[in-house]
Amino acid sequence: SRELFVLTYGALVAQLCKDYEKDEDVNTCLDRMGYGIGVRLIDDFLAHSAVKKCRSYSETADMIAQVAFKMYLGVTPSVSCNSAAGNEFSLILDKNPLVDFVEELPAERASLCYCNLLCGVIRGALEMVHLAAEVTFLQDRLKGDAVTEIGITFLRKAEDRKHKRN
Amino acid sequence: LLLLSVICSPQNYPLYIRSVPTENELKFHYTVHTSLDVVDEKISAMGKALVDQRELYLGLLYPTEDYKVYGYVTNSKVKFVMVVDSSNTALRDNEIRSMFRKLHNSYTDIMCNPFYNPGDRIHSRAFDNMVNSMMMQVC
Repeated sequence: SRELFVLTYGALVAQLCKDYEKDEDVNTCLDRMGYGIGVRLIDDFLAHSAVKKCRSYSETADMIAQVAFKMYLGVTPSVSCNSAAGNEFSLILDKNPLVDFVEELPAERASLCYCNLLCGVIRGALEMVHLAAEVTFLQDRLKGDAVTEIGITFLRKAEDRKHKRN
Repeated sequence: LLLLSVICSPQNYPLYIRSVPTENELKFHYTVHTSLDVVDEKISAMGKALVDQRELYLGLLYPTEDYKVYGYVTNSKVKFVMVVDSSNTALRDNEIRSMFRKLHNSYTDIMCNPFYNPGDRIHSRAFDNMVNSMMMQVC
């Protein structure tokens, strides 16, 4: 059930906040955990969605937004391309189920990225299909911005690097 | 006019107090404190009888010449108390019940916030807004 998942995630973040004093440590920990989930989740995603191979970065970003987010969180963020080179994308979420019960961040945790786990998941999943990417939060509703925006920057393909070495 | 809303923890200390207007607050705090005894009495009296039929809404706890005190208790022994001015005869039982229900729903939302520890004082802006609008509606 969705509520149990959201409450579990909240308890996870609250516990991490008790364990680590600095917000950056909590963010790093969430990202690492997300990465571990992402490298495993990608196989489940590919098995259940039966999507064809993506031919471009923008197709990949669309796939993440329209299929993966819909499948696992039940929301569909909108995708926009940020750079002329076509390797920077933004996923804009106007509804984020993970923060349903969190009204605002506590005062002493102002730079906490509450949903940083999502960034790690996306990064881990992309890496398993040989796409290196940097994923961060560009805007966060919990910090007072209007929407929640996740930025994905695709780096040079890991495969290319391997070929060049040979 | 709705004068005071209080939420008390199972250990009978206040988690949230909001009063409109804000003079004579101490007198109301004292009233609420004594009404907690009445609440406890009602819970223990009904508990021994038919536990299934015990309602959350306790009704009018006791009337005094100036004001009436209403109570509501959840299954986790969190108590909600409201003090209403006696001159307001337009306020019906249903309305009091629905106000307590709104308070209860907002309270459960607060409980779901992972950063809230049960037993802390309630500092949520959304909750304040809800209580303010509810109390203003009655005035």
